Amino acid sequence: MDMENQRRVKEYAEKFGKENVVCILGGAEAEASGLAAETVSNGDPAWAGPLAGVQLGLKAFHIFEDEIKNQVDPAVYEAQVSLMEMVLDVDAITKEVSTIRNQYANW
Amino acid sequence: MTFPVIKGAAYCLVHAPDMLLHYGTTPATERTVNPDSEYLKKLPAYLRSYDKALAYAPNQAYLGRLGLGELAAMPRPWYEKTVDGAERFGPYGEMMPEPEFIAMMKVVDTFDLVWLEEGFAAEIADRLAAHPVLSGMKVGAGKPLAELEARLADHHAALPLYTGGKLAGIVRRAHDVDESLSAHIILENLVTKASAVLALKHLLAREGVKPEQVEYLIECSEEACGDMNQRGGGNFAKAIGEVAGCVNATGSDTRAFCAAPTHALIEAAALVQSGVYKHVVVVAGGTPAKLGLNSRDHVNKNIPAVEDVIGAFAVVVSEDDFVSPRVRLDVCGRHKIGSGSSPQAVMEALITEPLDRAGLKIADIDKYGVEMQNPECTETAGAGDVPKSNYKLIAALAVKRGEIARTEIESFGASHGFVGFAPTQGHIPSGVPIIGPVREMILAGQATRAMVIGKGSLFLGRMTNLFDGVSFVMEKNPGRPASASKAVERARTRVGVTVHGSEHGEAEVVRGAELAQRMRPDLEVVLIGNPGVKTSLEVIDGDCIGTDHREMERRLASGDLASAVTLHYPFPIGVATVGRVVTPGKGREMFLATTTGTAAADRVEAMVRSAIYGVACARAAGIEEPTLGVLNLEGAPQVEKILGKLAEAGYTSVRWATSGRADGGALMRGNDVLGGTPDVLVTDSLTGNVLMKLMSAYTTGGAYESLGYGYGPGVGENYRQIIHIISRASGAPVIAGAITYAGDMAIGGLVGKVAEELGGARAAGLDKLLAERAAGTAPAPGAGAGAPAAIVAPPEKVATAEISGVEIMSLEDAVQALWAKGVYARPGMGCTGPVVLVAPEDLAQAKVVLTEAKYL
Repeated sequence: MDMENQRRVKEYAEKFGKENVVCILGGAEAEASGLAAETVSNGDPAWAGPLAGVQLGLKAFHIFEDEIKNQVDPAVYEAQVSLMEMVLDVDAITKEVSTIRNQYANW
Repeated sequence: MTFPVIKGAAYCLVHAPDMLLHYGTTPATERTVNPDSEYLKKLPAYLRSYDKALAYAPNQAYLGRLGLGELAAMPRPWYEKTVDGAERFGPYGEMMPEPEFIAMMKVVDTFDLVWLEEGFAAEIADRLAAHPVLSGMKVGAGKPLAELEARLADHHAALPLYTGGKLAGIVRRAHDVDESLSAHIILENLVTKASAVLALKHLLAREGVKPEQVEYLIECSEEACGDMNQRGGGNFAKAIGEVAGCVNATGSDTRAFCAAPTHALIEAAALVQSGVYKHVVVVAGGTPAKLGLNSRDHVNKNIPAVEDVIGAFAVVVSEDDFVSPRVRLDVCGRHKIGSGSSPQAVMEALITEPLDRAGLKIADIDKYGVEMQNPECTETAGAGDVPKSNYKLIAALAVKRGEIARTEIESFGASHGFVGFAPTQGHIPSGVPIIGPVREMILAGQATRAMVIGKGSLFLGRMTNLFDGVSFVMEKNPGRPASASKAVERARTRVGVTVHGSEHGEAEVVRGAELAQRMRPDLEVVLIGNPGVKTSLEVIDGDCIGTDHREMERRLASGDLASAVTLHYPFPIGVATVGRVVTPGKGREMFLATTTGTAAADRVEAMVRSAIYGVACARAAGIEEPTLGVLNLEGAPQVEKILGKLAEAGYTSVRWATSGRADGGALMRGNDVLGGTPDVLVTDSLTGNVLMKLMSAYTTGGAYESLGYGYGPGVGENYRQIIHIISRASGAPVIAGAITYAGDMAIGGLVGKVAEELGGARAAGLDKLLAERAAGTAPAPGAGAGAPAAIVAPPEKVATAEISGVEIMSLEDAVQALWAKGVYARPGMGCTGPVVLVAPEDLAQAKVVLTEAKYL
């Protein structure tokens, strides 16, 4: 996850409280999505950004996961996300993100 | 309907491992943030040798040596394999080694900002001299290593250029405090310029377009050149064209992140389609910044740093040749400001919206050109296989529209696209890499249509959050329509003649025009100005010579008239007329070059140019291989010598006539004038004028010209109108002759012939020969007894300070006046007109000198 996004996630967690923040991911691939989920929960695994060694324990969901998808207006989801859902490996992405979430998220 | 065509494409790579280490942003940022990192320590071991990089399959594919089908069939990983028979030069270009590229940076540097180490410079000069398309380029002498190191020791004054781990040269900053001219920016810009020049030289060396035929260049990289007052002022395009010898071109830069090449191609095609230009080149070099972009991931995953090449390309878009694939300008897509940013909205704007307009389905496009990044660069960094994902998206869109079955999504990329093979240099992989391969497929009948799609991440510039993209369709050329060629044959060539100003009255002009119309039914003779007598010819309103001239110029510019005949018309300096006479001895026709106007200020140069212009006119008149003679006047032997040298160097249009006198030779005497020995007789303009009068009026005593074709068309470099001159004494037969001559020049394509002849002479060293002559000649004013000694130019300096206000005709004299006072100066063009350029430190003194000498 890039430095700027790490900085913003950290800032929001401090401002609104970790228990009130959920990260929604849009990564196109399982490994990268998993790394992003890990960064906001267990800290930056690359030890490079503002979240290096910072365990926020935030919950991260991919937009494809039912918990999020079911809360979105179906027409908007159709227009904005459905095409990507058709071409990406949804199962691998949701499995990776949920595994990381179950392992590290506290809130 | 005709469309512009893709006439050719060139693609080049530069292997740059040391630049990756020092100037790739990923390693450079790491050095700032984390200088002791494992990644930095390991990176050098992951760099590839030139031979390894050359034999890397995607690179051979980029050069066109490995088919894209063969690449797709080759099992991954490609970095573990080598291509048998890999070579540096391929059908589209080459992969240049880093040392030669550093020398090229020096060659394209016009401000002495690149200094090469003397040993390196000596060694590399021979290698560049032996290069098949760069052989004319001179590296020059280098400087001692100590001098380079001293510059590097001065903080920010210069940056090193390493190759093979050794210091080969430095790039100096161009200003002490201006960040836009810092060593870093100059280095990046010179890499962009040099790599673009390489691609352009390859393009012009192998495709059917010569440098001098190029009329416009659009550069579309992602760099900015300028100074602190205009940071992106530009014009990489013109700078690149200058090095490649595109003397008849200007150009401009187009910026739109990675989408810029596709934007530029649409612009180029539109300029050709509108008739503004016939040949437009789109060109871009690459950048050192993106070298090793994902190298951290490559090192982590233990694969070579495959992003070790800079990419470049050049494409020429030309008027319809009825063979090359066309650019369907009526099927262009654009992502609008209001289109929305979801993948679906983007794909619809770029693909289905234009296809719907043309009544085409997604699968009707045989091949799509998307971001063609080599997947081995991106996959390890979590970005996946970029082209593959793009093809899946296009396929998903086709499924949504019910055009293909869902099961076809996976195979759509293989059938309607290619595997990724281009370096990750932003704009370089964006759509354009497929143009070369697809052009060949279409020519070979293996494909009918392709779509080139360019997309750009505008948000990176922090000016907007918008995304961008444009697209166009390339299509098989249906060939020349049968009816169109007949229509061309039937269409008459419109030639205008102005009616006012003749000593013999308007009725005489009408008589001449009507005579021409009877003799030449293939012409449509038009009178410009009211003649006051009855005529069946078309008349364009006008009541004096001034209004006639304005109307003539307007109609020539609009294309309503193909050529025109007039009198008392002032040509600019550099344009002279080529007359055509019937010689009295045996009635042979002869071209007199020249009869009025000034081809050049220097007498010998003027006659050399006149010879070239005379040949162009004779060829336009249908004489395929005209013979040349130089009238034995002052300067004639030098003219003969220069033309002889051009002939030796390959300018084939110098075919000497042999004088009819016993001693022969190419210098013509009076007998040869009377007998019409050469097809083209070269004279100075004043002598030509006298001969013209003699040849056309020797039977009448002079007041009435009764024979021949008049003083002929004004011809000069880049002079695009065909305007023929007659005199006030020209009678109806000469006016009729001039109109038929003007018709011949329009039909024979005089303007193109002049460009061809000048191009041929240039290729044989015309400019160099004229410059050598100019250098060896004392300044013209006051030459002869008591004239001052020749003024020698002071040592050349970088002259960027402008002095405006000097009268254009005095510009050269003003420069000489400064030289006489030891101030280096040269003439130039500023934004507001002609200027004298001097070094900034000499500006104040130069102004004093010019004021005292009354130039200001």
